[in-house]
Amino acid sequence: MIQIEGLSFRYPAAERAAINELSLQVRPGSLFGLLGPNGSGKTTLISILSGLLTPAAGVLRIDGRPMPAETRTVQRFSALVPQEHAFYPRLTVIENLRFFSGALAIPTAETEARLTEALSITGLDGFIAVRAEHLSGGLKRRLNLAIGLLNRPRLLFLDEPTVGMDPQSRRFILETIKRINAGGTTVVYTSHYMEEVEMLCDEIGVLDEGRLLARGTLTQLLGEGGSHRLGVSLNAAPTAEQRRALGALPAHEINGTEFSIEDCSEADLRRVVDALGAAGLGVSRVKYGYGNLEELFMRLTGRQLRD
Amino acid sequence: MRVIALVRKESTLLLRDWHALFLLFVMPAVFILVMSLVLQNAYALHQGASVRYYLVNEDSGPVSAALVERLAGAAEFTRVSSDAPASALEEQVRSDHAQFLVHVPRGFGQAMAGAHPLALQMLAGPGVEPSVYKLFEAELHGALARVYLQNSIAGIAARIPGMDTSGFDLDAVDKLLHSESLYKVAGRNQVPSSVQQNVPAWLLFAMFFIAIPLSTTWVQERQQGTYARLRSMGLSAGSLLAGKLLPYIGVNLLQVVLMLAVGVFVVPLLGGDRLTLGGSLSALCLMALAVSFASVSYALLIANLVSTSEQATIFTGAANLLMAAVGGIMVPRFLMPPLMQTLSDYSPMSWGLDGMLDVFLRQGDAAMAAPEALRLFLFGLACLAAAALRIRLWKRK
Repeated sequence: MIQIEGLSFRYPAAERAAINELSLQVRPGSLFGLLGPNGSGKTTLISILSGLLTPAAGVLRIDGRPMPAETRTVQRFSALVPQEHAFYPRLTVIENLRFFSGALAIPTAETEARLTEALSITGLDGFIAVRAEHLSGGLKRRLNLAIGLLNRPRLLFLDEPTVGMDPQSRRFILETIKRINAGGTTVVYTSHYMEEVEMLCDEIGVLDEGRLLARGTLTQLLGEGGSHRLGVSLNAAPTAEQRRALGALPAHEINGTEFSIEDCSEADLRRVVDALGAAGLGVSRVKYGYGNLEELFMRLTGRQLRD
Repeated sequence: MRVIALVRKESTLLLRDWHALFLLFVMPAVFILVMSLVLQNAYALHQGASVRYYLVNEDSGPVSAALVERLAGAAEFTRVSSDAPASALEEQVRSDHAQFLVHVPRGFGQAMAGAHPLALQMLAGPGVEPSVYKLFEAELHGALARVYLQNSIAGIAARIPGMDTSGFDLDAVDKLLHSESLYKVAGRNQVPSSVQQNVPAWLLFAMFFIAIPLSTTWVQERQQGTYARLRSMGLSAGSLLAGKLLPYIGVNLLQVVLMLAVGVFVVPLLGGDRLTLGGSLSALCLMALAVSFASVSYALLIANLVSTSEQATIFTGAANLLMAAVGGIMVPRFLMPPLMQTLSDYSPMSWGLDGMLDVFLRQGDAAMAAPEALRLFLFGLACLAAAALRIRLWKRK
C-alpha cells in the first residue's frame, strides 16, 4: 500500500532533518505501528503520507500512485486522524460530522448513511446532540476518529489517537481500530505507548531522529536479542549469604530485587529457579525468551522510549 | 458544496459565540456612538458652548463696553462670569478650566486713539489647540477692528462739526462676505456637521478591526489541527479562504448597517447631529462592499502570517492604527506635510476614506466612488493571493 524510498524532509530553519533517507513498505490491509519517542519524526512522516508536507527528496508511492503528484487522488481514499482534537468544540457531534462530511464533498444522498456508520463504529450514537466541548476526553477522541471514517478510507493514518485517555476509553479505541483494520482498511498507527503497539500492530517500524531503526513483525523484532535473556523479579533483595549460595549459577547480575542472566539456556532455567528457591528467595515474576519493545528501543538507540 | 459547508459552519460558530458577537456588533456600535458624540463639537465651533473664556474689564468706557458686547455676540465662544481677580482667573486658564482670559486694561478706550494705545491682553490655556487659538484671536481682532473703526469715526466726527456720519454703516462689512459650504442636503447648501465629516472615517476604522477576531479564529483553528485535517481532506486554499471570506464579509456589512443606524437614529436621541447617508444608496453599497472585501482579505492575510493569537491581536491593532494615522482617519490629509500626504496615497484606509467622503459629503454616485472601490477590490485580491500562497507554503509544525 505504501512504498517509501530514501525519503527526507527538513523543516525550514531546522538544524537537522526531521525525516532522514527513510525507506519503508507497508502491506495492504496491515496494521502498521510507527513507534518512536516525541520528536522522532512520526507526525512528520504521517503529514507527508497524508499530503500535508512535501518531501525534499525520495520516492513515495501510495497504492501505486506517486506523491505528491497524485496527492488529491490519494486524499480521496485516505484519512488522517491528527493528535489534536481537530474538530469544532462549539458544534455538536452531529454538526461536526455533517460539516466534515460536506468538506469531504460526500454526496448528499449518502451523507446520512455515512454519519450513521461513523457514529455506530465509534459508539457515539448516544451523543449526537452534545456539543463537542462538553464531551469527555475519551468521547472527544472517538469523535476525532469518527470524522476520519466518514470517507470510508482504504488507508487510515492515526497519529497518537489515544494520548491522554483513561484505560477504558483507550481499550475501546484500540478495539475499534482493530475492527476497522479487520474490515480491510490499512492502518498506519503512531504511538509512543509500546503496550498499545504490541497489542495492536502486526508490523512495526521503530523510528528515531527521522531514521527507521528497525522494522518487522512483533515476533521478529522482539525475538531479536531477547530470546535467551532471563529476568527474575525477587520478593526481596538477596543477602550476602544468599548471593554466595547463587555463586554456582551461570554469569548473572543482581540489581536490587532484579536478577538477570543475559544468555540463559533452557537447561539452566530450571537450575536457576531451583537455586533461588533453595536460597530462600521468593520469586514474584519471571521473564524468559521474549523481550519487549522498550528493551528493543533501548538497545537500538540507547534512549528511553518516553523521552 | 465544500464552500457552502464551510460558510454554514462558520455562521453557526459565530452565532454560538456570544463574546464574538459582542465584540463584532456591540463594540463597533458603541464606538461609533461615542465617537459621534465626542466629536460633536471638535470642529463645529458654530455649535458653541465648548470654548469658554473669562473677561476682566477694568475699563469703564463705552469703547470697552462695545468690545465686550461684540465679543458676547460670537456664538462660538462662551463667556464665563466670575468676580475673581485676574491672577486667579489666569490660574484657572493655566489649568484649562477655561480656554482664554481676555484682560481689558484701565483706560483702554481712552488710549485707543492716542499716541500710546494700551494693548488688550489675551491669554490662552496650554491645552488650547492652535486652530482654536487662531479662531479666538481672529474673533478678538474682528471685534477690536470694529470698535477701533467706530471710535475713529466718532473722533473724526467730533473734530469736523456738521459731518454726516450716517453713511458709515459698520454692519455693511458683514454684507461684503458671502460664505457657504458646497455640502448639500436635499439640494440645499449647508455646513456639514462634524458627525457627517467624522463618522465615515471612524466607520471605516471600525470595519478594519474585523481583522482581530477573524485572524484570531483562524490561528486557533490552525492550532487545534482543524486546518491540517481539512487540508488532508483535499480542501484547496481557495475553498478555505472563501469559507471565511463570505461569512465575515456578511458580518462586516451587518456592522456597517448597525453603525449607520446608530448614526442616523441613536446619536440624535442623545443630542448629537443626525447622520445623513448621502444621495446615492448604490454608492454607499459599493463602498461598504469594497471596504468589507479589503478588510476581510487583509485579515485573512494577517491570519496566515502570524503564529499565535497574541501576535494576531497586537499586529492587527498596531497596523490598523498606523494605517488610520497615515490614511487621514485621525488627522485630515490636507493638514499633513507633503511627504505624509504622498505616503497616504498608499494607505487602503485613505482610499476607503476618499470613497466614503464621496458618498457622505460630496453627494457622489457609484461612478464617483468607483476608482476608490476598484483600488480596494484590487488590494483585497492581492491580500487573498498572498494568503493563498502562504497556505500552500504552510508547514505543519
